[in-house]
Amino acid sequence: MPIGLKTALCAAAFASLALAPVPSFAQAASGEPIKIGALLSVTGGLAGVGQPERDGVLFAAKILNQRGGIKGRPVEILLEDDGSNPDAAISKANKLIHEQKVAAIIGPSGIAQSVAIGAITHPIKMPLVAFAGLGPEIERQRTCVFHLTPAQALNSHALLAYAKSIGAKNVGVLHDSGYGQVIWNVMQKMGTEFGITFSKVEKFDIVATDATAQAALIRSTAPDAVFVLSTSAVPFRALHQVRFGKPVISVHGTATYEYVKAMGDGANGVVHAEFLIAEDPLPSQKEFVALYEKEFGKKPKHFDAAGWDALNVVVKAINETGGTDGAKLCDAIRKPYDGVMTKYDFSQPDMGGLTPASFTYSVLEKGAFKRLPFKAAN
Amino acid sequence: MAFARNKLLIAAVAVVALLLPLLLQRHYVDVMVFAGLYGIAGLGVALLLGQCGIVSLGQAFFYGIGAYSSAYLCVTLGLSPIFGIVVGAALSALIAFIIGWPILRLTGFFLALATLAIGMIGGILFYEWDWLTGGTLGIGGIPTLSLFGFELNTPQRYYYFVWAIFLVAIWLSHNLVTGRAGLAMRAMRDAPPAAEALAVDMHALKTKIFVLCAVLGSLAGSLFAHYATYVSVQSFTVERSIIFLLIPVIAGAASVWGTIIGALFVALAPELLSGLGDAHQVLFGLALVLVVTLLPEGIVGLPKLVMKRFGA
Amino acid sequence: MSWGLFWQAMLSGITNSFVYALIGIGLAVIFKGTKVINAMQGEFAVVGGIVTVFALQAYGVPYFPAALIGIAAGALLGLIVDILFVRPMMRRKAGEESFLLLTIGLAFTISAGLLYFVGRDSYLLPGIGGSGVVEMFDAFIPVHSYWLVGISVVVVILLRLFYTYSLTGLAMAATSIDPIGAATNGINVTLMRTYTFALGGAVGALAGILVAPLVSVNYHMGIALTLKGFAAAILGGLANPIGAVVGGLVIGISEALAVIGISSGYKDIAAMTVMIIVMIVMPNGILGRAGRRGG
Repeated sequence: MPIGLKTALCAAAFASLALAPVPSFAQAASGEPIKIGALLSVTGGLAGVGQPERDGVLFAAKILNQRGGIKGRPVEILLEDDGSNPDAAISKANKLIHEQKVAAIIGPSGIAQSVAIGAITHPIKMPLVAFAGLGPEIERQRTCVFHLTPAQALNSHALLAYAKSIGAKNVGVLHDSGYGQVIWNVMQKMGTEFGITFSKVEKFDIVATDATAQAALIRSTAPDAVFVLSTSAVPFRALHQVRFGKPVISVHGTATYEYVKAMGDGANGVVHAEFLIAEDPLPSQKEFVALYEKEFGKKPKHFDAAGWDALNVVVKAINETGGTDGAKLCDAIRKPYDGVMTKYDFSQPDMGGLTPASFTYSVLEKGAFKRLPFKAAN
Repeated sequence: MAFARNKLLIAAVAVVALLLPLLLQRHYVDVMVFAGLYGIAGLGVALLLGQCGIVSLGQAFFYGIGAYSSAYLCVTLGLSPIFGIVVGAALSALIAFIIGWPILRLTGFFLALATLAIGMIGGILFYEWDWLTGGTLGIGGIPTLSLFGFELNTPQRYYYFVWAIFLVAIWLSHNLVTGRAGLAMRAMRDAPPAAEALAVDMHALKTKIFVLCAVLGSLAGSLFAHYATYVSVQSFTVERSIIFLLIPVIAGAASVWGTIIGALFVALAPELLSGLGDAHQVLFGLALVLVVTLLPEGIVGLPKLVMKRFGA
Repeated sequence: MSWGLFWQAMLSGITNSFVYALIGIGLAVIFKGTKVINAMQGEFAVVGGIVTVFALQAYGVPYFPAALIGIAAGALLGLIVDILFVRPMMRRKAGEESFLLLTIGLAFTISAGLLYFVGRDSYLLPGIGGSGVVEMFDAFIPVHSYWLVGISVVVVILLRLFYTYSLTGLAMAATSIDPIGAATNGINVTLMRTYTFALGGAVGALAGILVAPLVSVNYHMGIALTLKGFAAAILGGLANPIGAVVGGLVIGISEALAVIGISSGYKDIAAMTVMIIVMIVMPNGILGRAGRRGG
């Protein structure tokens, strides 16, 4: 039963964390823990990404401590939930920094929180490993705020490159008024670069329950494919309902099993430019996928992997610098890093270094993600 | 009520308030800053609810107008912060007047729902007009305020600044409520026909309070923008309007000074409860429901209720 | 603009209309019986939908009984809300804004509770009559939509009969119009209010069960449902289930026209503006005073 299972898993994750120093392995970590903050949106509207991120971070800490921690010292994750509220995130960040004296902060989950907290952590050179992509212009100056997911121009590039590869010249766009709007604002200027024109662009409200009218409008312009830019399953169902019949290409945000479930019949054949296909992992992802499946009894997606990577990025920097000095950690992080979700390069101006080649492409078949051979060129 | 006792109480509160940032941990000072910010916006809602019996579910709209005015004028146009604050307040007042004049003919639930609809329309416009608001990306890099060359760049400094404004606003509201206008308002709330007979122009009076409420909301929004240095649509949703409404509800709407208690509750309760793990939002909701159910006059009415039960 | 497109927009608008109407009907039932605006009506729907999904998928109960369990869960929730919260507040004659705030608080609590207990998943039900689609005038409408509309109409008719002919229904309506008068006539006013909340909860849960195959239900969709339902109920004059259907149609169709006519992003602004204007210009709803009596 899902309820009991999930609660049990969470409890297990927490319990294992609390008991982390117990030597279940011969070489398990002991000694004074190194504190790392995790500030995530575990409840509220962003819980859909915040919860897998939390699972990934806590799981990474558990495995790390079993394997000896950082030079024998265990990692202690201090988890704070901002309830998807940027205001709460500010005081929580100050708590982690000034009272709990963490070495680095993992998170936050949303763009708003990242920009708000970056203003606190950047001046004092505390590493912030954020899950959101690069936000407004100001973030380019914050060289101590790292981004694990792609900025919107990159998401757009990944979709356009794929559309071009299947010979689509005329593409419809169905986007929501939140996240989708942000991507569309960037994407609309990039079509010509790929020889793609947008036949029809339709927007729907993020809380909408039906988008069939918009889907029908797009269908009526007979595009070669459609881009769905959204954090909702509604457009996929709508396209299926009006028998769109052409390729549906989407951003990584909806490439999770929860969304697939909500898409129903609309899920079949949807292509995602995404990162982790647990059904068919890349060699660099195999170990994580196997460990995760053993622990949680289900397959991970990229938000879990991003949580795992976030901790390991910080841990690697602590290992390299041999201490927890923020400025040194930031410098140590500003390098290429081979993560599970993908290969990052934190030395790049966007503090994440993802490229079009970082994406893997999947198509949905019967609720499972299947790898596509296509790879975008850099 | 004895005036002297009141004075003593105020003095005691003032001393505690002055010492707090020195005693509290840093993040609680942060929380207190937000309590002050929310309190200013909530004070507007309290005046509407306590004096006119109007439930406003749209205060986040005006809060947003203030925040975006400050963000846009300071960051995009590079003007001094004072312009953002003044323009935001003026714009809010104007919009509140234009909207308030027609909708304040409604009463009760209908008016509450109209304000809710206004708040939602505002939220959608903040999303849609991303050339102005930055949409979900928001606007970052808003400068911190400085007062006569004194940078308000730490939570401690901002705490004194925000709470000074909050307390002055409460004091002014207190004078308004206890003055002639307040009498008219209470007459309007409790006995509309009598008020009408006394030639109180109820509609004009309501509109004035609505405008005042919007200005307070806008001021709070501007101050928020300069504190967080960043604004995005997520801060101006219906949920935020509900938080503002909770301030007078929890404290007891009849008392403007109670706004302080309400503001402390909405800012502190989630913070204290979040230590209890994932269920903290459930507990916050329950706390709220229990206050509404068990304390008809809010927390301010609690001593009276206890006296009634156990005293005499 | 082709006819097919127009039909697609209109038909999906009508489907949406009945979703709004079903929430609005529940609101109207509760308002009719208690004079309380129930801001947690959407949560009744979410709870009803999720309970049905669990009964069906986790416990293997067949569809129809599973739906009945979902409806019963809604009624039970309504019952609990009334007994634990509404009764004590009615006893001390709390103002109408207090009830609004109570139900807002409950909505928040239930939404947070659902996230805590059943997680962030979206729950989808199979459609009644399968997941097929009917093509009509070059427009595509799921078979389930027809069921949704049909069942809504039946519910409205049953409610009308219930309030007009059954003694309990009459007593429930009388309770809110004149509680003292009702009490002197031997009506158990408190009990009638409890019935009203149970009925409102059941109708709300039914809405959730009917919506779940189209859009899936999740922990944070209650408030969006409630808001649209509000708009529908208000347009219809608040105390009248038939009015809520008319209100729902006005909103659903004006939204559909907004999608075709203006930018789809401004759809909700159109609906909200219509709602405000109708409240000001037609304070008794679009059916007028006659609508208040009916239902």
